[in-house]
Amino acid sequence: MIRIRRGHQVYQQVCASCHSMSLISFRDLVGVAYTEEETKTMAAEIEVVDGPNDEGEMFTRPGKLSDRFPQPYANEAAARFANGGAYPPDLSLITKARHNGQNYVFALLTGYHDPPAGVTIREGLHYNPYFPGGAIAMPKMLIDGALEYEDGTPATEAQMGKDVVTFLSWAAEPEMEERKLMGFKWIFLLSLALLQAAYYRRLRWSVLKSRRLVLDVVN
Amino acid sequence: MADEEPVDQKKYLEEGCKPKCVKQLRAYEACVKRIEGDESGHKHCTGQYFDYWACIDKCCTDSILEIEIIEGQCCVTLASCGAVLS
Repeated sequence: MIRIRRGHQVYQQVCASCHSMSLISFRDLVGVAYTEEETKTMAAEIEVVDGPNDEGEMFTRPGKLSDRFPQPYANEAAARFANGGAYPPDLSLITKARHNGQNYVFALLTGYHDPPAGVTIREGLHYNPYFPGGAIAMPKMLIDGALEYEDGTPATEAQMGKDVVTFLSWAAEPEMEERKLMGFKWIFLLSLALLQAAYYRRLRWSVLKSRRLVLDVVN
Repeated sequence: MADEEPVDQKKYLEEGCKPKCVKQLRAYEACVKRIEGDESGHKHCTGQYFDYWACIDKCCTDSILEIEIIEGQCCVTLASCGAVLS
């Protein structure tokens, strides 16, 4: 919970300027990362276009809990234009959308190294061994001390990486813990039911299975 | 927090793992030497580079598991421990 809260802070301060999370609403954070009051205050800081009003015009209002997270760019074309042709993907489902998503995102964010000998990356791209192809448009964003956590935890690269990956995993699969608990419970119960059903089937069929049929001549 | 300059946990583990991956590092350095004079731009050492970093990554994840098992009790008191492991 506290880690999801820190992860959200990392997202907001480091990632939200380029990456949208258009499937998450402010109300999803209530009870998970922040209290309702805190979330309402956070939502009210952004301006949202709403409407049309009675006069048929669109108007702007402060955000509410039911609003989605704000988008940094109006559309994909604007995002590409602002980032040299590269589109910063929406992060709402990113840990599910990449193979071994949690480990991949952590390795990617913390794994910026110098390129190997013989490899040159063109201007505007950066080398990252975990990115397919090696050349990623995003520069290294997680730097020690890049932000100050609310609760005073030291903001090292690994700390921020783990927090933001926890946050992104929660965003992609908020139901994960409940789903797994349900899974354990029902797989256990259904296995018991399976054993019981198997026993009962064999009990009822034992009559037929223990029959003896004799073919004989008719005298 | 007493730390003015927090030490990054991942870098600390990677430093500790370098001695375990000397073989891959030597292979990489040998490759670098081999392609030193190359002008064509086609030769590179990505293979050895990946071998080296795969070894470091594997060693780091093993170290993290060891740390978690050993220091499981002290997470409450050690703030730095709690930062990575909580």
